[in-house]
Amino acid sequence: MDPEAYKYLGAGLAMGLGAIGPGIGIGILGYGAMLALGRNPEARGPIMTNMILAIAFAEAIGIYALIVAIILGML
Amino acid sequence: MSKLGLKSKVAIGLVLAFLLIAIGGIFFPVHQPDVHLSANYGGHVPEPFYKLGPIYITNTLITSWLSIIALAGLFYFATRRMKLVPKGLQNLAETAIETLLGFVEGVAGKKNGRRFFPVIATIFLYVLFNAWMGLLPIFNFIGIGHTGTASGAFFGDYSGFIVDVAIFRAANTDINVPLMLALVSFISVEYWGFTSLGVRTYAGKFLRFRQFLLGLGYLVKGRVKSALSAILFGAIDIFVGILELLSEFVRIISFTFRLFGNMTAGEVLLLMMAFLVPWVIAVPFYGLETLLGAIQALIFCALTLVFATMAVTPHETDHD
Repeated sequence: MDPEAYKYLGAGLAMGLGAIGPGIGIGILGYGAMLALGRNPEARGPIMTNMILAIAFAEAIGIYALIVAIILGML
Repeated sequence: MSKLGLKSKVAIGLVLAFLLIAIGGIFFPVHQPDVHLSANYGGHVPEPFYKLGPIYITNTLITSWLSIIALAGLFYFATRRMKLVPKGLQNLAETAIETLLGFVEGVAGKKNGRRFFPVIATIFLYVLFNAWMGLLPIFNFIGIGHTGTASGAFFGDYSGFIVDVAIFRAANTDINVPLMLALVSFISVEYWGFTSLGVRTYAGKFLRFRQFLLGLGYLVKGRVKSALSAILFGAIDIFVGILELLSEFVRIISFTFRLFGNMTAGEVLLLMMAFLVPWVIAVPFYGLETLLGAIQALIFCALTLVFATMAVTPHETDHD
């Protein structure tokens, strides 16, 4: 393969592998939030805010992978 | 076949029209979108709106000023003739501000909430306006370009005007805007920390030599056993302090790339969808981007708020 192909392969792998972790993390967060909602539906507001905050942290990692992928694709 | 009511006929007609437009869009090729990370597309930007003396006028600078003007205009007209019972624009502005104030005070408490509110509300509204203005149809389409042909996705070639440099581009997709906001957030958080805890206490959160020095003191006094444990825990404490100091600075990077990455990803998504099947398929993604813009604005201000709240609460330092 020529280097160009490796570059795009790397970009795709970076995004694909980098999305696994945040995906699992966001899934666990949503699971926890749903459980909490089921137990205590009145606490909807704080649960939502905290869930979104925590999801933002998990999602940031996926975003880093995206940045790396974009930069690799543009090099 | 059973008879259909008027409503279902209209619905079926609408669905058919939608499908027709969606499929028909394939036959009208658009040129492949150029995805750029830097706001000004490398260096090949024509002089006129590139440099104004020493100041570089980029397309994202224009749009960020547009959103500042829009915000200022909204709040100027909303508060120009204030009434006790709000109506119209004033009602909207008051609802937005009161909701934000309630959120800030709910997290940070009454006294600190009032202190934090101006910076946090400004960050929220600015990010929100930048994100939502990027969805206007004038963005990414008007600009300096050339006439030429490009290959379409499915059928035929696109020939016509191709935009090289758009005059409007969503401001959040320029990394300088999120970086600026992150620096504002960082500096505000540190300022609030120093002013409400005092320089000694706040710096003591990061430079935790107390336990270690205590251990050294024990060693001098000859109490070896307690000295060793104090020195061990003191060393861990120092390390934790260094990590916390580091995490303060990592926040800048994390803030920057979170907003920049999300907004750029949204922009790329819209471009790709508009390129794959023009006209219809991109519409739901505009809805998604509206939601995402609001969520990102909320996340940016909420994280600043949480960090500020953490900075102003005194730390329990003693283990013993």
